[in-house]
Amino acid sequence: MNVATVPMNVGLILAGVLFLFGVIGIIVRRNIFFILLSIEIMLNAAGLAFVVAGSHWGQPDGQVMFIFILSMAAAEVSVGLALVLQLYNHYKSLDVDEISKMSG
Amino acid sequence: MTITDVITLLPLILLSATVVVLMLVIAFYRNYQISILITLGGQLLAFLSLFVIYPYAPRQITPLIVLDGYSVFYMGLLIAASFTIVLLSYSYFIKFESNREEYFILITLATLGSSILVSSNHFASFFLGLEILSVSLYTLISYQRYQEHRIEAGIKYLVLAGTTAAFLLFGMALIYAELGTMEFSNMAFTGEITTVNQPILLVGWGLLTVGIAFKLALVPFQVWTPDVYQGAPLPVTAFIATISKGGMFALMLRFFTEVPVGSSSSLWGAFAIIAILSMLLGNILAIVQSNVKRILAYSSIAHLGYLLVAFLAGGVRGTEAVAFYFVAYFITSLSAFGVITILSRQDHEMEDLNDFKGMFWRYPLLGIILTVAMLSLAGIPPMVGFYGKFYIAFAGVDQSLWLLLIVLVGSSVIGLFYYLRVVITTFMREGDEEAERKELLFGKLIISRTGSAVLSILGFLMLAVGIFPGPLLSLIEKLVSGMG
Repeated sequence: MNVATVPMNVGLILAGVLFLFGVIGIIVRRNIFFILLSIEIMLNAAGLAFVVAGSHWGQPDGQVMFIFILSMAAAEVSVGLALVLQLYNHYKSLDVDEISKMSG
Repeated sequence: MTITDVITLLPLILLSATVVVLMLVIAFYRNYQISILITLGGQLLAFLSLFVIYPYAPRQITPLIVLDGYSVFYMGLLIAASFTIVLLSYSYFIKFESNREEYFILITLATLGSSILVSSNHFASFFLGLEILSVSLYTLISYQRYQEHRIEAGIKYLVLAGTTAAFLLFGMALIYAELGTMEFSNMAFTGEITTVNQPILLVGWGLLTVGIAFKLALVPFQVWTPDVYQGAPLPVTAFIATISKGGMFALMLRFFTEVPVGSSSSLWGAFAIIAILSMLLGNILAIVQSNVKRILAYSSIAHLGYLLVAFLAGGVRGTEAVAFYFVAYFITSLSAFGVITILSRQDHEMEDLNDFKGMFWRYPLLGIILTVAMLSLAGIPPMVGFYGKFYIAFAGVDQSLWLLLIVLVGSSVIGLFYYLRVVITTFMREGDEEAERKELLFGKLIISRTGSAVLSILGFLMLAVGIFPGPLLSLIEKLVSGMG
C-alpha cells in the first residue's frame, strides 16, 4: 500500500517555524498570558515534530510522545493559571516587567 | 512484565504509594504530625527497598527504565537527601497557618520524579521524570503564596522550566527523526556529525544541550537561579540546589556515556566553554551579593561548573569523581541550608548577611556547623568538599585537561573570598543596637531539637567522610563504575 505522505523534511520545517514563533513570542511579549501561550506553541511544535518523525519511521512512538506532551502541557497550564490568578491578586497587573522585583 | 520486574521497581512504587496514601489520609484526617510520619516512613521504606533490589541489578525493565548500580546509588542519595529536607522542614512549616500537609506530598512527588530521571534510559521516561519533578517544584516554590517574592519566583521558574521542556522535546524529536530510536543505548552512531552530513541531528543535540544547561543553571543559562533561590522557601531552595540538579546531572552523565561525544567534536567544545564560564562567573558574581540565598545560588552555579570538568574528563574515573562530588555537595549544601532554615521564622527568613552578624555567639553549635559547611564548599581540607574537588582534579589530570583545571583552581581561590566573608560575619561581635533589632525581628527563637540533631549528623559526616573517604570511595567504585 502506497499512500502519498508528506515528506519528513517539510513537516520538520513547519514544526521548526512554529517553534521559532514560540521563542520569539516569549522574548517579545510582556504579558504573562501571552508568554504561557507561546510556551504552549513551542510544546505543540515539538509534538508535531514527534508525530512527523513517528510517521516517517512507521512507529507509534511519536504519537505516544505527543499524548505525553499534551497531558504534561495541561498539568503545566493548570498550575500556571493558578499562579497567574495569585499574581493578579498581588500586583493587579499581568505585565512581567512590573512584577519582577528581585534582581542583583 | 514479570514479578521480578515489579520487585525491581519497588523504590519507585513505594514512593508513589507514599504519595497516594498521604493524599487519602489528608482527605480524611488532616494532621501535621501524622503526615510527616507517613512521609518519613514511606521514604525510609523506599530507601531500604534499594537493598532488596540491588541483587537483581542490572536489569532493564521495559525499554523505559534501567536499574543498575548507578541508578541504585543515585536513588539512595536522592531519597536520603529528601528525607533530610523533610526533617528540616518540620520546624519551618509548623507555624504555617494555611494547609501545610500537602507540602509533603509535593516533596515526595518531586523526589519520585528525580528518581525516575536517574534510572531512565529512554526519552519518554526522561521527559516524564523531568515533568513530575518540575510541576511539583512550581507549586513548592510558591507554596507560601501570601509571602513576598514567592509567586514571582514560582512564575519565573514556571516560564523557565516550560521553555526548557520545549527545547528538550524539540531536540528529542529531531534526534528521533534522524535516528529512529528513543532508547539511549541504541543511539550510538558512528562517524563525525557535522553541519553538512547531519544538520538535523546537530540541531537536535544543540537544543538538547541548551535544555539540560538551563535545568542545571549553567552559564549563560543561569539568569533565573538567584531569583528562584531567593524567592523560594528555604527547604525548597535546598531541594532545588541538591535533588533537582543531582537527578538531572546523573541523567546527563548516563546519556552521554551511552552516546559518547568525541573529545574533538563541537559539542565537547561547547560543554568546555560552558564549564569555564560557569566556574568563573558563578564565583565572581557571588562576591557582590549580600543575600546568603543568592550567594549560595551563585555558588551552586560554580559547583555545577566543577562537576562539568569531571563530566568532560569522562571514563570510569570521571563518573566516580562526579558521584563523590555529589555526595560531598549534597551533605554540605544541606547543612548550609539547614542551618539557615532552622534559624528562620515563618514570616522572616534569615537571608541577609547582616542577620548573620554574631550568630556564632548566640548559637555556637549552629555557628560551627555553618563554618564547616562554608569551608567545605570552599574546598578546604579536611572537609569533604576538598576531597570532592581533589578527585575531580585527579580525573582532569588523567585526561590532561589543563585549561579547565587552571580555571577550576583559579576560580576556587575567588570562591574562598565570599565563603570566608560569611564565616567572618558569623564570628563578628554585634553592637547592642544590632542585638536589639534582631531581638525584635526574631524574638526568642526556640531551636528545634530534630533540626539540631539532623544538622549535627550532617556536620559530623562532613568531617568524617573528609577524613576517611575510603568506605564511600569503595561503595562508589562498587556501584557506579558498572554503569552501561
